[in-house]
Amino acid sequence: MPGRGEATTSANGLAASTHTSDHTENIVGGKKDSSVESFLKSVYDLAVKEGWEKAQDRNELVVKFKSPEELRKVLNIEVEDCPASHSDLLQDLKDVFTYSVKTGNPHFFNQLYAGIDPYGFAGQIVTDVLNTSIYTYEVAPVFVLIEQYLLKQFCEMVGYPDGTGTFPPGGSYCNMLGMNLARFHKFPDIKNKGLFSLPRMVAFASCGSHYSNKKNATLLGLGLDSLISVNTTSNGKMDPVDLEKRVLEAQEQGSVPFLVVATAGTTVLGAYDPLNQIADICEKYEMWMHVDGAWGGGALFSEKHRHLMDGLHRSDSVSLNPHKMLMAPLQCCMFVTKHPNTMKNCHTLHVPYLFQQDKTLYDASYDVGSKVLQCGRKVDAFKFWLMWKAHGRLGLSDRVEKAFENSRFLIDILQKTEGFKLVTDPECTNVCFWYLPKIMRDTDWNLRDEKFCRKLASVAPQIKERMTKKGSMLVGYQPVGNLPNFFRMVVINDKVTREDMEFVVQEIDLLGSDL
Amino acid sequence: MYAIGTLRIVGRLLRRNCASFLTNSSYSQFRLMASGNSNKCKVATEAHDKEDALLSDVFNLTMKMAVSASRNRDNPVVRFKTPEVLERELNFGLSTDGVDNSELLHICEKVFENSVLVGHPRFFNQQFAGLDSYGLAANIVLDALNVNGHTFEVAPVLTMTELAVLKHMQKFVGYEDGEGVFCPGGTYSNMLAFNVARIKRFPESKAKGLYGLPKIVTFCSQQAHYSAQKNAALLGYGEDSCVAVKCDSHGKMIPEELERKIVETKNAGNVPLLVTATAGTTVLGAFDPFNKIADVCQKHGVWMHVDGAWGGSALVSKKHRHLCAGVERSDSFAWNPHKLLCAPVTCSALFVKQKGLLNKSHSLHVPYLFQVGKPYDESYDIGRKLVQCGRRSDGFKLWFMWKAKGDSGFEKVIDRAMDNAQHLIQALKKRPNFRVLDDEPEFSNVTFWYIPPSLRGRDENEEFYKDLAKIVPIIKHRMQKKGTVLVGFSPVADRPTFFRMTCVNEKVSYEDMDFVLDEIERCGADL
Repeated sequence: MPGRGEATTSANGLAASTHTSDHTENIVGGKKDSSVESFLKSVYDLAVKEGWEKAQDRNELVVKFKSPEELRKVLNIEVEDCPASHSDLLQDLKDVFTYSVKTGNPHFFNQLYAGIDPYGFAGQIVTDVLNTSIYTYEVAPVFVLIEQYLLKQFCEMVGYPDGTGTFPPGGSYCNMLGMNLARFHKFPDIKNKGLFSLPRMVAFASCGSHYSNKKNATLLGLGLDSLISVNTTSNGKMDPVDLEKRVLEAQEQGSVPFLVVATAGTTVLGAYDPLNQIADICEKYEMWMHVDGAWGGGALFSEKHRHLMDGLHRSDSVSLNPHKMLMAPLQCCMFVTKHPNTMKNCHTLHVPYLFQQDKTLYDASYDVGSKVLQCGRKVDAFKFWLMWKAHGRLGLSDRVEKAFENSRFLIDILQKTEGFKLVTDPECTNVCFWYLPKIMRDTDWNLRDEKFCRKLASVAPQIKERMTKKGSMLVGYQPVGNLPNFFRMVVINDKVTREDMEFVVQEIDLLGSDL
Repeated sequence: MYAIGTLRIVGRLLRRNCASFLTNSSYSQFRLMASGNSNKCKVATEAHDKEDALLSDVFNLTMKMAVSASRNRDNPVVRFKTPEVLERELNFGLSTDGVDNSELLHICEKVFENSVLVGHPRFFNQQFAGLDSYGLAANIVLDALNVNGHTFEVAPVLTMTELAVLKHMQKFVGYEDGEGVFCPGGTYSNMLAFNVARIKRFPESKAKGLYGLPKIVTFCSQQAHYSAQKNAALLGYGEDSCVAVKCDSHGKMIPEELERKIVETKNAGNVPLLVTATAGTTVLGAFDPFNKIADVCQKHGVWMHVDGAWGGSALVSKKHRHLCAGVERSDSFAWNPHKLLCAPVTCSALFVKQKGLLNKSHSLHVPYLFQVGKPYDESYDIGRKLVQCGRRSDGFKLWFMWKAKGDSGFEKVIDRAMDNAQHLIQALKKRPNFRVLDDEPEFSNVTFWYIPPSLRGRDENEEFYKDLAKIVPIIKHRMQKKGTVLVGFSPVADRPTFFRMTCVNEKVSYEDMDFVLDEIERCGADL
């Protein structure tokens, strides 16, 4: 049935002939709709085969490494003046898959995300194709309601009865919101007047906290020096005694302490800061308490492990990235605050072209964009909601508990295997350890010995380079403070088995014993 | 698509030994049957198969209910329901146990049914519209790769494609040796520009903050995007520090006014840091006079940022790039390909003329991620240049679209949008019961009022336009309820509420434009 607009000549005769015929035939860029549909189908099939089916095959390489220079040559990367054919495009996409890292492979342990959840993937396809921006109910009715619902659920889990929140683009952004709200909460005038006439404000985070806190302090005009680093105890947890000491010092210097960022699951060591003790200090000195649960917050979903975050309900704001431990597709981050009006008061502006007050069909409070900083925003809630629907909270809990069990199993093997040494006794599912090549095993373990440390520090990068070139797995490494480079295994993917844990230990030994 | 989709579902059911239920191949029948029986097939080894099937079914549903549905003008753009009604219809509740595939599919179907089809040719509500198949394809690839764009180590291909497309775009901007990054939205791009400008001017403020500095002031036109104020507040300058410069009747910033405000600021002992000039304002689509603004900025040593989120895409068209003449003199340039180039939401880039500034402003020593001694040049770890850590690789979508379309394909998209806008303005002028705000809009925003029967024949004074303004939301909401057209409305400066049509989608025809005007007349006939 022809559409209402498909008359061949327009009333005023203005239509250029190419213009109308283009449209009636539905040819865009010289390609017909039918061929575009079959192209989409081919891309989908390729994506499922390469990204989903092959990703679960341990015999596939995790990475087929090429240097940037080589990669530029093998990929047909230049964009040109003329359109490419569908077959060329499909070939390009095959190359994209070939040379990309397979984060869904059970041997990918490199980052704080891994694996691919089919329901998340399906949900992502739905939001891709609906391609809307979640700022008003008008253009994203279903997604606004779903997002609100999820945030309410999350607030309940955290223990914020009147809480409110949003899905920002990334965990750094979540922490930035926490910092901005904390500052506004302390000095509401800052929104209009800026911080020029205010006393110096300082925030606190442990030395193991995420680097975004520093970046955010700079961005918000407070400066790096305004983020005071608090010492940790030996297993990487913030030391509350040191926190209080530093708060007092700052006050003595005339600064105003306004925020403590506590971390639930630090990036490297996976430590959970002692929330109750930190909350006591925050209450005493009237500071906002933000909990960065981007990584370890997933533990909330497990009855068994949620105790790691005891005291969470006493905080003022919390963030959690479901795209990490819960395996939602990238990106998916939640930020909630206990105070129902702070976000709105801190961010709302009168914007008549978007958030019209003369809308009559629904309550303007459903235009969620007015309480966030962004204007356009991708829909990140739906995929997580669909996953939750499919797995149930129990399914998500199983996933978290499996990651914990796998990591405990790994610790066991590491302790039993010659040449491996744990850095800390981990609380979360990151397991950090050193590997000693054969030649080093007879030397005394002495981290005060500079030569020993230098040698130890060179081991992980060499093994990493070998494993990357071989493509058998990916594991990260880094130093922390005075501790020389060590491996950080991050266990997330629910497809990971005990055999995979054994494989990791054997593979490192295989790659590095001759160093 | 429908038949193929059903066949695939049938095939899969056969594999699951559920053949006996297949007496009818219609999709809804399948759903009914599946919801009754799929629970029984819960064998562990079938879990993967089950997941496979869901993916495939959701894809087929997607093709049918969004890709094909957007093409048929007889489908509603939206089936409007209030939040309360929608809440009753869709089972939002989450529980302890998961639900089965058939229930999930049913949910997805409901989601499609009740969502706005932004790819529909009668969607004119925002500055994004349409559904580009290549963008969609690239998005599906990104979904399958599920990788974070922060390092070359985990995103080698995505890094290279992003760098390639940024380099290509930069040629259009006219920066010879600059650099670019993709940001999650135009507001964010503008924010980075604010930050980079400040750190360039006051490098020590990276560590020390704004304390001890003179008051920082930024400038933009009265009609610039609202992110200018939000970003000023966020970065600690305060909303009041954002000075709104007067515009002429077309909505363009008046450069003499800008200079006057800059001088005032200096005289007050404050620091004029940055001017945001806009390429394509949100409501009227105006382009500020970039060359004149650049002269003022140069003279007073002020950073010039161009917010080309909306109008930056004009650069790709030989016919229309003159609108952006002078942007090459700016210090930074924000451009959202997810608007006029129809890349999937979000796809926003920021370019900075001086290479290295992004890194200087944002990089930190992060040993766990940006290790020294990687087997490649660390400058390929894009994350160093950004404030974010994790990031979806939005540039890949644009790279792939550019491959598919070439410069020439994008040029057609822009030219067509402009052509449609021209058609609309001519059509409006011919109809006695419409009034346009601007006879000769520069860009693809067309703004106008409709005069309903009860207001005709009156003196067209201020009161008259105030009454016209009251009609606008009524008609919009009627069209929204009917689902025939979605179009935005807004007031601006001293002009009361009017319709704002934005021409974006390349599938929109002249007839669609005429249809909108007819529909407004139909919906307003009794007013």
